[in-house]
Formats: sequence, C-alpha cells, structure tokens
Amino acid sequence: MDEMVLVPGSTCQGCGAAMAARLTFKVLGPNLIRHGIPCCPDHVSKHPRAGSVFEAGGSSLTGTSRALKALGRTDIKAVAFYGDGGTYDIGFQALSAAAERNENILVITKDNEAYMNTGGQRSGGTPKYAETTTNPVGPKSRGKGEPKKNIPMIFAAHYVPYIATASVAFPEDLMQKVKYAKDIEGFRMILIQAPCPVGWRFDPAKTIELARAGVQAGVWPLYEIEHGTSFKLNYKPKELKPVSEYLKPQSRFRHMTEAEVNEVQGNVTTNWARLLKADEMKTVVL
Amino acid sequence: MHGRGGQGAVTASRIIATAAYEEGKYSQAIPMYGTERRGAPLTAYVRIDDVRVRERELVHTPGISLCFDPLLSLQQAVANDLLPNGQVLLNAPFAPDKSELAGNINIATVDATSIALETLGRPITNTAMLGAFAKATGVVKLESIEKAIKKYFPGRLGDMNIAAVRKSYEKVSPWVPAKNKVAPKMQVDLNVGGYGTLKDVSSWRVFYPVVNEEKCIGCKTCWIFCPEAALEWKANNKPAMVDRACKGCGVCANECPVKAIEMKRVEI
Repeated sequence: MDEMVLVPGSTCQGCGAAMAARLTFKVLGPNLIRHGIPCCPDHVSKHPRAGSVFEAGGSSLTGTSRALKALGRTDIKAVAFYGDGGTYDIGFQALSAAAERNENILVITKDNEAYMNTGGQRSGGTPKYAETTTNPVGPKSRGKGEPKKNIPMIFAAHYVPYIATASVAFPEDLMQKVKYAKDIEGFRMILIQAPCPVGWRFDPAKTIELARAGVQAGVWPLYEIEHGTSFKLNYKPKELKPVSEYLKPQSRFRHMTEAEVNEVQGNVTTNWARLLKADEMKTVVL
Repeated sequence: MHGRGGQGAVTASRIIATAAYEEGKYSQAIPMYGTERRGAPLTAYVRIDDVRVRERELVHTPGISLCFDPLLSLQQAVANDLLPNGQVLLNAPFAPDKSELAGNINIATVDATSIALETLGRPITNTAMLGAFAKATGVVKLESIEKAIKKYFPGRLGDMNIAAVRKSYEKVSPWVPAKNKVAPKMQVDLNVGGYGTLKDVSSWRVFYPVVNEEKCIGCKTCWIFCPEAALEWKANNKPAMVDRACKGCGVCANECPVKAIEMKRVEI
C-alpha cells in the first residue's frame, strides 16, 4: 500500500487527524475523488479534491458519486474527509439527506471534538465539561454544559448499510473497517476519534496514548452497525479503565471537580452496559 | 515579532502592549491572520507610541524585531524591512557577533529556549524573551511586564513566567552591529500564515527522534503511528527519520514498546 498523504503534511505536531488520514487513504488507494469542506487538515492527500461549503458536504458528494455512475466509472469512489463540524452540526442536514437517499458514498469523519481549524470553538461533538474558546470556564460556567451528540447512532437510524467508529490508537481495527466499507454499495460512514494536541491541550507526544485511554475507558467505544440493526462491539476489555485516566492529561478538563468526573464515569458505565447488551443480542434498538 | 505556533508570540505581543499601556502609553497588538498551527512560523505586531495611534494596519517597517525560535533566528527574513539601525533580538544559544544576519542592524541574543526549559519545563519561549526585550530595548520597564504577565497568567503559572522573565533580563547580551551590511539575495520565505502544501518542515523541530538500533526490535509501531509518514524503513529493518518531514512531535518515542527512540534537542 502506498502512502497517499502529502509528506510533510500541513498539520500541527502530533496531529491525530493527520494520522487518521494517513491510515485511511493508505487503504483506499489512489482511485478516488476526495471531497473536503473547511476542516483541518485540508491538504492531506494526493487525490483530486473537490472543495465545498460546510452546508453542502453531502449534496456535492452526491453529485460526484452520481456523475461517476453516469460515466460508468464504478472503479472510482466518492470519498469525503470531513471534520466533526461538517458532520455533527453545519453539514448535518445535507449528510442526513444523502444518508436517507442511501447515496453511494463513503464519509470519513475525523472527530477532534471542536472547530479546531478556527481556534477551537465548541461543536456538537464537544463532550460535556470540555473548555473551548466559546465555553470558557469562569465563575458561572463549567465548560460545555451539554453532552456530546451521539452521531453514529443518529446516522445508524437512517438504516444505512454501514456505520463504524474507529480510533487512531487501533490502526488495524481502523484499516479493516475502511477496507470493509470501501466496496459496500450505499452510504457508509466511519467516525474516527482524532485527538488534537492544541485544542485538547496536551503534550503532542501523547496523542496515541490518549486516544487509547479513551477507548479503554469506554468514552469512545469501537463498534459497527450494519443496516441500522446488526450491531457488533469490536473492542471489549474485561474491565473498563477509569475515565480519569482519559480526562486528566487534557487541560480542557482540568477544572473538573471529583463529582463531575464521577458524573461522567456514571454516564460512560451506563452507556457501556447498554452497548454490551446490544452486542449480546447482536442488534441495536433504534 | 517572529515565532512559531505554540511559542506564544501572539500572547507576548499582547503582554508588551499591555505593559506599555500600564506605563501610560498608547499601544496596539496585532496578530497576523492565517493558518495558525502549532509549529508553523507566524508573526505578530506591536505598535507603541506616546500619542494616540490611529493607524490600524500591520507594521511593515518595524524598529525592533523579536525572534522567538532558535531556528528562525538563522533566517534573514526576520531582519528584513527594519528601519535603519533597527534592533533584532534573537532567541539563540550563540553570542550576537556569531549571527550571520545582515543589514544596517544591531543584534542581541538570549538563549530563551534553555531558560524556558529550566523554568517552565516546556519550550514556550515567549515570556523568556520578554525580560530580554525589556532590558535590551528599554521600551517598557521590567515591572510593567511583570504586572502584565500577572494579568494574563494568574497564580502559579504567572510566578513561573515571571521567574523566566527575570532570568532572561539578566542573561541577555549587549547590542552588537551586524557583521555584514548587505543581505544575501537567496532567501528562505518564512511562509507566514500560508495555506497549501509545504516542502520542508525540518526547521519546526525543537526535539528530534534518534533510534537506538541495538534496542530496536523492528516492530514498526513507530512507523504505523507517525502522523507525517516521516519514518522510512531501512534495509536492516530499522527506522530512520525523514529529515524534511519530521516535525518532532515525539509520538514515535512515546509509543515505542522497548523505548528505543529518544528525543534529542536540536543543536544549533
């Protein structure tokens, strides 16, 4: 497999999104048209790139996919490399419509949990209690007050062929998912958690360590959902690690009190129990 | 002011402007807008005057140039466009008469990276340059810099930064006129605030990975996790750094299962 990313990339030191891009495009190979909407990193791969506005992510991707079909070029894939802003909030409407029409597109979302390209403003992907530039911690504010949007489940509820979550700390799992999704017909989406050393405020060397801690603590579970029903949990440790291991190295959570950490721990444990149950039944009720 | 993303050049510009304001002067701090990435070169500007400043644009011909990064300090671009007899304060481990910068300028140096690593534990050089700035240029007093720092960094962080300021206030070298008066024609563009693709990021590093080949077991973990594809595989099944691509993030050293990679500070 060739390296499809630009070397050197235009990202910050220790960028999780650059890692996600490198692993993904290594699997996908050269035969694709990459769609991008403003996100960092924008210039990631050598593929032909079509840029668009945030709101039109899903619709412009639809156009590319249908044009390729009309030309008979089924060997070329229409692939999106979007950030969490283009998936969770601004681009949601067009992507949701594309999912509902079950367009033949592959959406790769690298979730760095805020608008990191413009300086770290809050997004729908920002977890509760995280400090962002638009949620500064002060006497009356404890960071973001709302929980993170459960976007994989929302897209699964469109009953599309394939939805998966992945993490840069588990490259084999990520690459297998991309390989599997590559040749499926219809709408498929892979959400990759990509730690951002600048926005989350931690040492760039710890990018992978932190992503791994997130998965092992159950904050970012790795699973696949096919056709909105069949569910599979890919990473099942015997015992979850405490969330504090994931929260502590990040300065965006440093204001959190013990009660708040316990609250997050409670939510994660409940969610994990639900996921385990779904995995046992091999189905998810949406 | 020339720095790199993450070194705090923008914060430093604000601190200087605030310090001047504390002394009853009129001041402005202007960051250059662009893609501010950690590690990429960037500029920020400060304008200080005794009368009200009505100008609102970037400073194109500054009187003083500050450079926060030791590798940027080697580039002629940080000394260009200065007023005659302009002052260039560099973050560099060498004496000012060793600098190759050219023009009708005076040069002073301070080893701010070492000071920052000693006092803050991280190579964030902005406050370690500010003490040197106060001493060398005399534009603002040390006390007003400290006052401004307390405003931006309350608590323990402020005390640490003030320690860095005091240390650099003592350590800065005197002004020395530049050896060469004519700048070389071939110059590297700093690509400040630039979009697009880069060709060489070797100057972004503060630390770089060194592989201990005896310890290395050839598992390719570092190669898989490198965000920049900056490790290539040699014939003897050991990794080697691609010089133009490595940004020195340290992920490889952190992930190596046998700790065969060590991050070493770049020497100038």
